[in-house]
Amino acid sequence: MSDYVLKVSNLKKSFKDVKALTGVSFSVEKGVIFGMLGPNGAGKTTTIETLTGLNKRDQGQVDILGLDPANQLKELQKKIGVQLQSPALFPRLKVVEIIKLFSSFYKSSLSTDQVLEQIDLMEKKDSWVKNLSGGQKHRLAVGLAIVSNGEIIFLDEPTTGLDPQARIKLWEVIRNLKKEGKTVFLTTHYMDEAEKLCDDLVILDRGRIITQGSPEHLIDQNFDDKVIEFRDQNLSAKFKDQLKNSSFFNKISFEEKNNHILIYTDQIRSSLKRLFNLSEQNNIELEGVIIRKATLEDVFLKLTGREYNDETI
Amino acid sequence: MKLFKELFIANLKELIRDKSGMFWLIAFPIIFVFIFGLIFTNSGNEQLYNIGFVSEGDTVFNKSIEESIANISVFKINKGKKQVELKALQEGNRDLVLIIPEINRNLNEQFEIEILTSDQRAQASTVLISSLKEIFYNIERQITNQKEVFKIKTSTVSTDTLSDFDYILPGILAMAIMQLGLFGSFNFLNLREKGIIRGLGVTPLPRQIILSSEITMRIVISIIQTVLIIFLGRWFFNVHIVSSLLVVFGVVVIGAFTFISLGYMLITFADSMESGRGIVQIVQFPMLFLSGIFFPIDFMPKYIRPIVKVLPLTYLGNALREVMVGIPSQVTMTRNITILVIWSVLTVLITVKFWKWE
Ligand SMILES: Nc1ncnc2c1ncn2[C@@H]1O[C@H](COP(=O)(O)OP(=O)(O)OP(=O)(O)O)[C@@H](O)[C@H]1O
Ligand SMILES: [Mg+2]
Repeated sequence: MSDYVLKVSNLKKSFKDVKALTGVSFSVEKGVIFGMLGPNGAGKTTTIETLTGLNKRDQGQVDILGLDPANQLKELQKKIGVQLQSPALFPRLKVVEIIKLFSSFYKSSLSTDQVLEQIDLMEKKDSWVKNLSGGQKHRLAVGLAIVSNGEIIFLDEPTTGLDPQARIKLWEVIRNLKKEGKTVFLTTHYMDEAEKLCDDLVILDRGRIITQGSPEHLIDQNFDDKVIEFRDQNLSAKFKDQLKNSSFFNKISFEEKNNHILIYTDQIRSSLKRLFNLSEQNNIELEGVIIRKATLEDVFLKLTGREYNDETI
Repeated sequence: MKLFKELFIANLKELIRDKSGMFWLIAFPIIFVFIFGLIFTNSGNEQLYNIGFVSEGDTVFNKSIEESIANISVFKINKGKKQVELKALQEGNRDLVLIIPEINRNLNEQFEIEILTSDQRAQASTVLISSLKEIFYNIERQITNQKEVFKIKTSTVSTDTLSDFDYILPGILAMAIMQLGLFGSFNFLNLREKGIIRGLGVTPLPRQIILSSEITMRIVISIIQTVLIIFLGRWFFNVHIVSSLLVVFGVVVIGAFTFISLGYMLITFADSMESGRGIVQIVQFPMLFLSGIFFPIDFMPKYIRPIVKVLPLTYLGNALREVMVGIPSQVTMTRNITILVIWSVLTVLITVKFWKWE
């Protein structure tokens, strides 16, 4: 039997006529890195803010560590740490001062040095918050979530805006939290991040959950096959039709994305043969052909019929 | 309590590091004190002393004494009858009154010269008296060529009337307290606007502590302003405080609370920093001029007086004037305080009703 620290069922939230969450259900096991993946406007922030007490839910049940944020909020907030997507901090406090301030909010908080170490801001500890760079501010916000030493750490897009090095460093911090037995709830719109970092994942789109599972599970479940991808430089409609209607292979699916054509198949050899035959018949030179494993992006594309990018709303 | 302390310290650091904010809170009132002080104190910076000159005779000697004194450039001579000049001294319009008896030719007699000074300006009086003694000593030698002709008798007259600046100094403090309360609310508005208050909403910090630490800090600042203004008034412009400091602080705290809650009430109706500024200014600016804190209500046109009579600043000004320099207002002290308390209660109620945390 798994031990759940967070259970959400049929969570609904609207802002006037915008339905931000339309009945979201999922649960989070203790001690995992749980990811919520979704494009802009999917409802990730709304979910986190509803769970941590900034928004009131319209409907649904929420149970976090046995508490309900609707009526045991302060009790709950003592046990969690939260980093918001657009953190606003006292501008004229020093980094070390604001960490100290936040540590005074919690009973068994971490020391300021521990936090500064983890978020790699030791040499900036005496700078005013308003003089930090965007990425540094963001890291500070993550620091203010982990200073709580809470059982669940909520991070809303913790790595957005970080340089690659800082990003990898933060992944390390998140993995350490897990080692200490904490549960991490994070949102991201980076597919690769979700794939590498998360033990368990929900994909959120337009206020609803389209699937839940570990990244490997999601990929395997949707594709026990590989992907052939090549560039679409003015390929004729006739050629595309022939490809699409080719009943030749087992389990083919065909998608167009961003001037690329994707063929999902479990029979790479015969599929490639067929593809090259067709291109020869049509006298077409295929360009940029690659063969790869399916990724979460492919899962998203398959489940929503839309390409995953930040314009997807 | 620990939370309160930490937040208070954080607020304080934020405030002290905000240079323009500190200017308005501390430097601005100081500048006001000096500007008004230099304009309105009687001695002014030109050091012209108002001398009331009463001559009871019209002899050559009387005339030449008058001339010698009039020749001193820092003296402004007001020649007049004894009663008139004494009254002027009592009202604070003379620094000193000099009474010369009729000096006839019989210089063997001793003539008693009376110098009357005000008890309010002991320091200036000492200087004036010794320089006048010097002058009479010279006159003795040059005019009469005899010693000990004049016997100088000095006495002080208690003057309970005050200079214009005595009226204004409590007004400056009242103004500072009003600004602190009204403009101080921008701090919260800013935190609300920037989402800092909202952000703190995910921590176990009870939001009321944010407010209580702000309010406490402002009351502390108002006490600091009081001490500063009283100090400057005393040392540079000779304003005497008639009540104990504790009584003054009591009135200051009540006034500060009234204006702090008025400030919070005003920003509940603002949905941005700009509109907040607008609303506060609309209230603050007219109140500054319509409350009689810088000149008595009697100077204002009749149709404005009803407005003056409802503004809280009027009553804070009244109360401070009474406890600081002893100028009574047209209404009783109880009335002044009661009206301030009524304003506090009303504004607190309205604020609570319409309050927005985000
Ligand atoms: N306070 C609000 N008032 C009105 N609409 C809102 C509000 N907050 C969010 N929304 C809307 O709800 C939807 C979900 O927003 P949300 O911020 O949860 O998305 P997100 O998944 O966090 O996106 P992003 O990746 O851009 O952070 C969006 O359509 C957004 O416009
Ligand atoms: Mg978001």
